[in-house]
Amino acid sequence: MSRTQMAGSKTSSVSRALARDRLGVPAVLFFVLSGVAPLTVAAGVIPTAYQTTGLTGIPAAFAVIAVILAIFAIGYVAMTRHIKNAGAFYAFVARGIGRPVGVAAALVALLSYNFLQVGLYGAFGPTAASEAAAHLHVHTQWWEWALGAWAVITVLGLLRVEITGRVLGVLLTAEILVILAETAAGLAHPAGGHLSFATLSPVALTSAGFGTFGVLAVVAVLGFVGFEQAPVLAEEARDAWRTIPVATYVALGMIAVVYAGASWAMAAHNGDSRVVDAAGQQGPGLLFGLGGSGTLSQAAQLLFLTSLFAAALAFHNCCWRYAYALGRESVLPSRLGRTGGNNIPKAASLVQSVTGLAVIAVYALAGWDPLTRLFFWLGTTGGFGILALLALTAIAVIAFFAHDPRGETPWRRLIAPALAAILLTGIVVLAAAHYATLLGVPAGATAAWALPASYAAAAMIGLAWGLVLKIRRPQTYAAIGLGAHAVTGQLTPATGTTPS
Amino acid sequence: MTGLGGTGRLADDLWLLAHNERTGKPHLQPRATGLGLAGALLAELMLSHSIRLSRGMVMAADGIPPRDEVARSVLRLVISEPEHLVGDWLLFLARTAPGDVAGRLERAGYLTRIPRSRFSRGERWVPVDADCAFAPLVRVKSVLRKSGPASAQDAALGGLAAACGLGHQLALYLPSNAIRRVEEAARHLDPGLRELIAHTQTAVDRALLSHRVSHPV
Repeated sequence: MSRTQMAGSKTSSVSRALARDRLGVPAVLFFVLSGVAPLTVAAGVIPTAYQTTGLTGIPAAFAVIAVILAIFAIGYVAMTRHIKNAGAFYAFVARGIGRPVGVAAALVALLSYNFLQVGLYGAFGPTAASEAAAHLHVHTQWWEWALGAWAVITVLGLLRVEITGRVLGVLLTAEILVILAETAAGLAHPAGGHLSFATLSPVALTSAGFGTFGVLAVVAVLGFVGFEQAPVLAEEARDAWRTIPVATYVALGMIAVVYAGASWAMAAHNGDSRVVDAAGQQGPGLLFGLGGSGTLSQAAQLLFLTSLFAAALAFHNCCWRYAYALGRESVLPSRLGRTGGNNIPKAASLVQSVTGLAVIAVYALAGWDPLTRLFFWLGTTGGFGILALLALTAIAVIAFFAHDPRGETPWRRLIAPALAAILLTGIVVLAAAHYATLLGVPAGATAAWALPASYAAAAMIGLAWGLVLKIRRPQTYAAIGLGAHAVTGQLTPATGTTPS
Repeated sequence: MTGLGGTGRLADDLWLLAHNERTGKPHLQPRATGLGLAGALLAELMLSHSIRLSRGMVMAADGIPPRDEVARSVLRLVISEPEHLVGDWLLFLARTAPGDVAGRLERAGYLTRIPRSRFSRGERWVPVDADCAFAPLVRVKSVLRKSGPASAQDAALGGLAAACGLGHQLALYLPSNAIRRVEEAARHLDPGLRELIAHTQTAVDRALLSHRVSHPV
């Protein structure tokens, strides 16, 4: 008797056999959190943000942004149930607003994830170099370590090795435990013996004017990047109506508590008025110093390196997946959508590697500071791009349900997304207007307009290309946003997770 | 009797194409191999008119029932559970197709089973004769001949091979631009087979994009 038959007779149902393979809340939550890389944010983003922006409302920003993202998620996960290729922002935009805008969103997303990916080399390089100097007495340049990480990621990308399963689970759990331990230690020893709650107060969000909130929001969104990935697994989830929403909300809550707590502890431990100066002097040490300089601090510093590396690899994989999906749709050159031996998408992976190499080379040759100019500038710019996409996606959700409610309540399909769209668009405008504060440069500096303008350029090119496709290649145009479903999308009516 | 002509069954040919002709090592990720072979098992039944595919659904038809046990068990399942979409059938059959097809090739004398060792997980199959194991590539190549139309089975074999990611492997032995011509030949198949190949391609792409490389067992 064949195994097929045995499997069939044992379960008596194909559906039951398939259901066993589907993912539950813990698996999806785990996948989301692993893309978030908590220690990269807690030790990398938060101290650099204190230093560069000079603002102290970061803890409050994490809490407020978590609420705004939760409101956004209501419509986002509702639409996930009704479209294919969910998990890619441009799929939402293409279906909701229109395909040309979808192509624009696709290019903005690709650029955002690219900024986030290459930015991580700017934190890994200097951290590894200083660790090597302190413990191994090896004195090297930051870019030598960055190139080392780049080479390993390039090889792992080409072999299609991903840090998954147990390794990532152990790292992730250790990261969160270390952050919580440092947070507790910092809060137990507040500056002046008195625990201040000022940085957690919403008043702190507008301490230096209303525009401050836009700047803080970008930093906070940067910390949450990755939460939007849960719908990637929508088609593999056990229960499309429950698994993805629950995992998304739980992830948002966990991230908010961990980050708001850690950034609050940093301010409380050093003193609200001194935390900015302390961040400038200590960098990532702002977190590691909360619990003294013992074993915990040493473990945290090592974990910071593995966290940065895992995040760089995760974003590398995220970038090639985007490029590959767009190649499959023939929106980008279809070479990007081809695989080599062992189903490895060589072209898409290599393009990402070449980009990383070019950026590291430019920063090394120009002698620019890696931690502020590469890690923080490009990282926050990536966060800003994601923020803009969130705003656009919220609008897309409203537009998508405008013609057909598909059984969703007004709260899910209209009120919550409208609230999210207004709040997120407001934040985007504020952040764009105060981009110089975000980067910590004088108003009018080239970076303060060139970095956000790169998205406008990408969006224009995408929009134009979308319109060209509409006229020249109607078949490609019709498949925009379908991702892996590009081949079958036009064959059959909706056969995905859409409930009947 | 084994021979260069093979077993005449599509999934057997695809299994041999998807593995090294000497060592039996797979050319694809486990999930892609499974999905490709699942597509091939359904294609066998479509070629014998035992099932047909229409707008994403698999339905029993009144062709001659296959004599082969693996194909018969797939057909029995399709008849007993007609409500599933082709994408679900592919996912379901992918779980067991590589082992089932390899077992069938072993019984036909094309493969030898190597029992699990201390260092490898699960069984492994090695081709008995490298020339016989390489022969399916020649059948794909016949699709490229200009004289006369290709046989539906060979065209479907080429289409499914490209769909599950063997294009790179074929390109090593076939003339340049051959992959495009193989895919072009598959476009002349009847609509049901074309749809099956497209669904196989989608399932393989989805597996690639959804981070799950191997099958969760």
